[in-house]
Amino acid sequence: METLAKLQVLSGAARYDASCASSGCRREGNPYSTGNTSQSGICHSWSDDGRCISLLKILLSNDCIYDCAYCVNRSSNPVERASFEAREVVDLTMEFYRRNYIEGLFLSSAVMKSPDQTMERMISVVETLRTEERFRGYIHLKIIPGCGPELVRKAGLHADRISVNIELPSHESLKRLAPQKEKFSILEPMSLIGKEITESLVERRSRGKAPKFAPAGQSTQMIVGASPESDFQILRLSEGLYRKMNLKRVYYSAFVPVNHDNRLPVLAAPPLLREHRLYQADWLLRFYGFTAAEILSDDMPNLDESFDPKTAWALRHPEFYPVEINRADYATLLRVPGIGVTSARRIIAARRFSVITPEGLRKIGVVMKRAKYFITCSGRPFEKTERSPLLLRNRLLLGDGGDVVPSAPPKQLVLPGLLA
Amino acid sequence: MDRYLYDGTSEGLLSAVAHILAGERDVERVTLGERENTLFEEGVYLATNTAAAEEFFSRLQMQASEAVYTFYYFTMAEKDGMETSMLRYLALAMQHGSKVNGYLTNPSVKEIVTVSRKAGRELHRMKGLLRFEKLQDGAYLARMEPDNNIIHPLALHFSKRLRAEDWFIYDVRRRIAARWHRGSLTLGSIEQFTAPALSEEEKAVQALWKTFFGTIAIPERRNPRLQKSSMPMKYWKYLTEKQG
Ligand code: SF4
Repeated sequence: METLAKLQVLSGAARYDASCASSGCRREGNPYSTGNTSQSGICHSWSDDGRCISLLKILLSNDCIYDCAYCVNRSSNPVERASFEAREVVDLTMEFYRRNYIEGLFLSSAVMKSPDQTMERMISVVETLRTEERFRGYIHLKIIPGCGPELVRKAGLHADRISVNIELPSHESLKRLAPQKEKFSILEPMSLIGKEITESLVERRSRGKAPKFAPAGQSTQMIVGASPESDFQILRLSEGLYRKMNLKRVYYSAFVPVNHDNRLPVLAAPPLLREHRLYQADWLLRFYGFTAAEILSDDMPNLDESFDPKTAWALRHPEFYPVEINRADYATLLRVPGIGVTSARRIIAARRFSVITPEGLRKIGVVMKRAKYFITCSGRPFEKTERSPLLLRNRLLLGDGGDVVPSAPPKQLVLPGLLA
Repeated sequence: MDRYLYDGTSEGLLSAVAHILAGERDVERVTLGERENTLFEEGVYLATNTAAAEEFFSRLQMQASEAVYTFYYFTMAEKDGMETSMLRYLALAMQHGSKVNGYLTNPSVKEIVTVSRKAGRELHRMKGLLRFEKLQDGAYLARMEPDNNIIHPLALHFSKRLRAEDWFIYDVRRRIAARWHRGSLTLGSIEQFTAPALSEEEKAVQALWKTFFGTIAIPERRNPRLQKSSMPMKYWKYLTEKQG
């Protein structure tokens, strides 16, 4: 098979992997090498689905011996199979990089003969890139669950970021839908990676010379909507991964039905809104000081479809508002719908010069359409209306002048088959 | 209101600002603009004083290093008619130091910082969207038509990244080019540009990239609007993946 045909098969098979970040570490080039990485991450293009393309995202092979229910590449599926030679991946990466198509390589793979054999081949690609080609651009390597700890260590020494897919949000779902993958084969490398990253950081701080281990950290991804877990379960899992395993990012990937399998739910369309709300809630966990238990609860286990999770929290907590723009601290400002990390910082910075007026707030870039219901400016409220939660809900949903009855209640996702 | 005029260069602007600030006038009461040399133009012309401009610049660097960046990006935007705002911005920078950029509730600061941020954003965007093509002699060429004059910092970025190759970046509208050759960077203008022939393998590599670009999108999630808002169509002209 020609490289072009392989590329078609093996990029098509990789597209459901969500992560594409290329940021988080800086490596300088030198006169004989090609490439460097940049702290802030660079997008090189946006594909027709609107997602950023930053890395050459491909599988080394889609020829899988496993049979995970949700995956196009599972062994029982009659799809075209292909495997790259190491050299092909190396050349593609270098040629693309020199033309500035990409920041680097994101290499994953189906399980070929065994997890060890697959991981070894992936590492050999990366080794060739780093040593023979002196490639200093970004590399993200996926760890194949079940491969030995030595291989995990080796991967971390060459790659900027390594990740193990958690795949599904619970042990039970994993057993049902990916019977050949064990929970421990996912969690074990994760905690090993976490340990190595911390150790290399500590050592470099004290000795300054220890080799870097996955300097851009560890991430994972899970499929949303293929199994019955609630958003609350998912967010609690993410929270644990951030706090206990020290992960940099958790990616959520709306389940796209690619197989007919009676273990899988039948969806009219991928649950994109749910994925979007999860990313928003994840953002609240990482940057806004929220806990999973503040966002959701056992009584209210799923995210509101009509409102972003911060607005939803605000509507449930009228006692927290109004927030006084000229006095509130950073953490409090962050809880106002319409004020993000950037505007909160700008408000604090601008307050050093003068009292902030409503006009000033607009200049700073606060989304007044939302914020005005929740703030005062030097004691003066923006909206004279009574702040009853129901009225607020309608206003936020329908904009000003919309004191109309809200439309149908938020839709619930149906997962037939799974709960039967 | 006193009106001052200068010759339209960045250096002239800095030296005019230095002169005005040294006079300790209330900067809110004066305006500054480019001289147009019309018969009825009113205002005091301040001739460019290179030494004064340099002296002011290094003072600015010490007292408000952030403002130096803002000024640098502002000049890339090639915006006319904002000299008065720049004068007031620089006066505030000298007074408050680097934290001046946080004073967004001030109209002049807001205006200058917005323009400068826009140029910075385009520079960042171009670091991703620039496309090199391999020429017959083995060097690489990238063409672009950015809104802001960003070629210099952009070339610096690639001089750290693609060090082993020889390459050119060409700003088609401004007719200026950056050249990286054997490890050194030069900048110059080009009067006559004829597109050189591409190398044999170029078409094949481009076909590979277009294939990747096509298959990496998830068909069930097609979203041309999101694509266009992240990657405005004005940049498509030189994007390999958007060519036929
Ligand atoms: S192991 Fe990976 S590639 Fe193979 S079927 Fe499971 S998810 Fe798909």
